[in-house]
Amino acid sequence: MDSHPDTTRHRPAIPNWARVLLVVALLYLFLAGVKGLETGIKVLGSGFTDSLFDGVSNPLAGLFVGVLGTVLVQSSSVTTATIVGLVGAGTLTVESAVPMVMGANIGTTVTNTLASLGYLRRSTEFRRAFAGATMHDFFNMLSVAVLLPLEIATRFLSRSATWLASTLRDSATVDFTEPDSPIKAAVKAPISWIERLLEQFTTDEGIVGTVLLIAGLIMIFVALAYITRNMRRLVLGRIERSLNAALSRGGGLPAMVLGMVITVTVQSSSITTSVLIPLIAAGVLSLRNAFPVTLGANVGTTITALLASLATDGNAGLAIALAHMLFNLIGIAIWYPIPRLRRLPVLLAERLARLAEVRKSLVLIYVVGLFILVPVIGVLTLR
Amino acid sequence: MVLEFFRGGADSQLEEIEGLIIQMLLDCRHTFDLAINALIGGTDPASVGKQISKTDVGINRAERKVRKELVVHASVHGPRADLPMVLSSMSIVKDAERIGDYVKNIWDIADTGVDLSSAPDIELLRRYRDTTSVFIGKAARVFKERDVAAAHAMIQEFDEVQDEYDAGVRRQLDSEGSPTDAVARALLFRYLKRIDAHLMNLLTSLVMPVHRLDFYDEKKADRV
Repeated sequence: MDSHPDTTRHRPAIPNWARVLLVVALLYLFLAGVKGLETGIKVLGSGFTDSLFDGVSNPLAGLFVGVLGTVLVQSSSVTTATIVGLVGAGTLTVESAVPMVMGANIGTTVTNTLASLGYLRRSTEFRRAFAGATMHDFFNMLSVAVLLPLEIATRFLSRSATWLASTLRDSATVDFTEPDSPIKAAVKAPISWIERLLEQFTTDEGIVGTVLLIAGLIMIFVALAYITRNMRRLVLGRIERSLNAALSRGGGLPAMVLGMVITVTVQSSSITTSVLIPLIAAGVLSLRNAFPVTLGANVGTTITALLASLATDGNAGLAIALAHMLFNLIGIAIWYPIPRLRRLPVLLAERLARLAEVRKSLVLIYVVGLFILVPVIGVLTLR
Repeated sequence: MVLEFFRGGADSQLEEIEGLIIQMLLDCRHTFDLAINALIGGTDPASVGKQISKTDVGINRAERKVRKELVVHASVHGPRADLPMVLSSMSIVKDAERIGDYVKNIWDIADTGVDLSSAPDIELLRRYRDTTSVFIGKAARVFKERDVAAAHAMIQEFDEVQDEYDAGVRRQLDSEGSPTDAVARALLFRYLKRIDAHLMNLLTSLVMPVHRLDFYDEKKADRV
């Protein structure tokens, strides 16, 4: 089949080797961003940050901050990397950050829920797409419903993660948590340079800290956005091929690993889960086979926080990154192995989708309510 | 499926999809040869029936696989998906599948007990058999090689052969032979015409814009 004449203008294609180099550079920018954020907060001093995060010692407020922050930036990777930076700087404790990463997990599902709204005019496809998107919501909400009270009561997640971070540090041949580790030294250099440059213009620590903090956030956001864009281009063929294999071989553990691998590669669970939505809507991928891919994406997205922890000082950054991973792994351990429990998020999503198919206003109530209203009210009242 | 992710290969699965369509055509040619020989070559229909049926099931399965993979391509690549290719593939895979159905219909005629192997016009029937069989194989090759010049030449040949099939059907209306024979011939000519028409649809995807697929016989100027 011949390619049809294309009248649109294309920019010259970037060769794959250049994309790989670009991704490496972007990863450096990302780590430097986390370092910038951490340094900025340290420069601002404890007074400023204490007042900023005073209210999130309430776990529910922390949860809602995580949801809202992720919905606003449309990326749990940005939220969790920021949380790692905050924890690394000592602004947040691992305990108060755990509900935030749980919130980020819920907030990130807004992207594929929005993707499913594209099918709103076609009832059957919409029902399938909406169920496909919201089964991810339900899984995360069910996990939070079980694990957050448990964490509040026992601190088991933060304690396990802190213990795991110490164990990893003790057993590692190269200690990345030491301030003079090669990665830390490399990412610290440009931030120190920016800091010195700023100090030539002003001695006001408030200004220096704020500029570093904002620059860090921008660097994290830009780096993650472009890493995702480039990695997606690099592995599109691989994603297509492996999804074709997934369609012919069904779900299960391999599908979960596939979801994890795709997400680790593109650094975005939203990309993985959003790609599934048209397949679910078209009916070529069943909800039950898509579910493990979604769970794999949940685990895969935790790699960003782990990467971010490479740039932070001390153990706490790594501990919160590990808490994020543990939360997702324990969630899977609770809801996946037993078939009855495994079906629950899918059944809830199917039920909601059937209701939404009949009453489209429910969709608006659900999306606005879950991702905006409840978190905003929660943050305002619980702070 | 995880290993598929790490395996090297093309940036898109469209070439594999093309390969599936070509294989469907080659399978159709194989079953066509079996079916037509059961009708005009003296082969016992029962001896080839299972193989034709089994291959047709495989052709139908391949059609569904192609459709699924096209949906995956469009979903994964989003706005960068090769939409003309996706749309034309979605259309021509149906043509390939329909050829398989007509082949089965030819075997069905033989299975009712009609045997044209000793008909007075057997040479003509053998010519039609050989022409169609060669057409299917040639169409698969032209499609694979995206040979636009050969596609144009084949479409020209199809035009001429189709007129012969129409004349053959009309002859049966005035036939004074047995009704069974006339019906069998009319159906055979009709099926051969439809097989050729579906091959033509497939080849026009090389020379016509997507929106004019299946309408090759309305405006010949569009075949450029």
